[in-house]
Amino acid sequence: MPGEHISQEQADEYAIGSLEPPLERGIALHLAECADCRDIVRDSERLAATLAGSSPQRRAPAKLKQRVFMAAGIRRPGPIRRALNTGRALAGVAAVFVAIGAFTGMVWMRGQLEGLRADDERLTQKIQVALSQEVEIAALTQKLDDQGKEGERLAAAATGDQELIVALLSNNTKIADVLPAEGGANSIGRLIWDDDQKRVWFVASDLPQRPPGETYQLWANSNGKYFPLGTFEADSDGFARYQTVLPGGIASYDVVLVTIERAGGSPTLEGPTVFFVQDLSRLKD
Amino acid sequence: MLAIASRDEHAFAVLYDRYIDLVYSASLRVLADTGLAEDTSQDVFVRLWNRPETFIAERGRFVSWLMSVTRNRAVDELRARGRRRKREGGPLGEPDEAAEPLFSVEAVDPQGSAELHEEQLRVRKALMGLPGEQRQALELAYFGGFTQQEIAAQLREPLGTVKTRIRLGMQKLRKSIETRD
Repeated sequence: MPGEHISQEQADEYAIGSLEPPLERGIALHLAECADCRDIVRDSERLAATLAGSSPQRRAPAKLKQRVFMAAGIRRPGPIRRALNTGRALAGVAAVFVAIGAFTGMVWMRGQLEGLRADDERLTQKIQVALSQEVEIAALTQKLDDQGKEGERLAAAATGDQELIVALLSNNTKIADVLPAEGGANSIGRLIWDDDQKRVWFVASDLPQRPPGETYQLWANSNGKYFPLGTFEADSDGFARYQTVLPGGIASYDVVLVTIERAGGSPTLEGPTVFFVQDLSRLKD
Repeated sequence: MLAIASRDEHAFAVLYDRYIDLVYSASLRVLADTGLAEDTSQDVFVRLWNRPETFIAERGRFVSWLMSVTRNRAVDELRARGRRRKREGGPLGEPDEAAEPLFSVEAVDPQGSAELHEEQLRVRKALMGLPGEQRQALELAYFGGFTQQEIAAQLREPLGTVKTRIRLGMQKLRKSIETRD
């Protein structure tokens, strides 16, 4: 048999399994060597297989699946695992909904955030405007303060001028030339002593400015005692105008001196004399 | 099958769901015993999972191969269990009364089994179109696992008569199916 090709009839008999075992084995041996016969038998087997498929259909028991999968070494999910899987699936669905909700919330939050940012920008702009206005107000306030101080200074100057005019018009006012002491050079000055207003003015020109740490100080000698009447400075043009209220106990003067003292003034006469004034009326006496 | 060869359990589950009833029905037809049919179906699918390479696509359709494997396995089981004697004299292919009720193929897999169902109908019609003695000889051989001599003895017909019935039955069956293809 192994050397002979098989007929279609033998192939059909082989395919439906009706051959006696010895002949069946012989054909199987031949098929192992003969591709042509294998094709013939394969066609017969396909035809025979349709017989198996034509059997009345019956539903396999549901439990069989579990058996088959266990026998195949495949772990099929049991009720608990299925429940867990279902739970996982539900959790997954829930997670999707949560994610959608979170996304929607995020979009909403983003909208809110953008709105807040816009509000913040508007508020920032308003704050900046307010700050700039505040700066302008502060500048104006400062300007007003400066103008107020200038006004006060001008008012004080006007008052001083007015008081000086009053002093010059008074019969009780003494006006004396200021005499430069040695080193006083070309300076020219006047001293106005007003008994009525108890004030004294010292005016001088071509007076050099003192270096830092030094100042001019006015002194009045009355009854042999020098009283400090305050300090003053010359301006950049060398002009100095100083007025002060006479301290109590001084009704007249014997000598008025201008000395150079340390900055801030000195309680006792220490520095060199720049000007001196004698009571001319007394000299006349 | 490629997915099963790569140990894709999901693919195996899909294949099982699609063909288990076909395999079980064929097994039951041969063995006429639900327990043995279950055992045979299990063996067929476990073999499919463990040795998917035994199916070679170039040699034919998968369902033909699966039916051949099922039938051969069922007949082996039949012979091994010595059930042939028990079946002698009884109607061939009659399943146990305890078996699941008959159902239509459409109920198994309405979409995937449409082609299969059409072929089954063609084969059934072809079988029903055969003379009764030819159909009986084919069924005794294929589902009963009997050899021609055993069939002749059972039917008390000459061996040549049985061989002729089988030959003619197969020829008519082939012609009937081919003319419809």
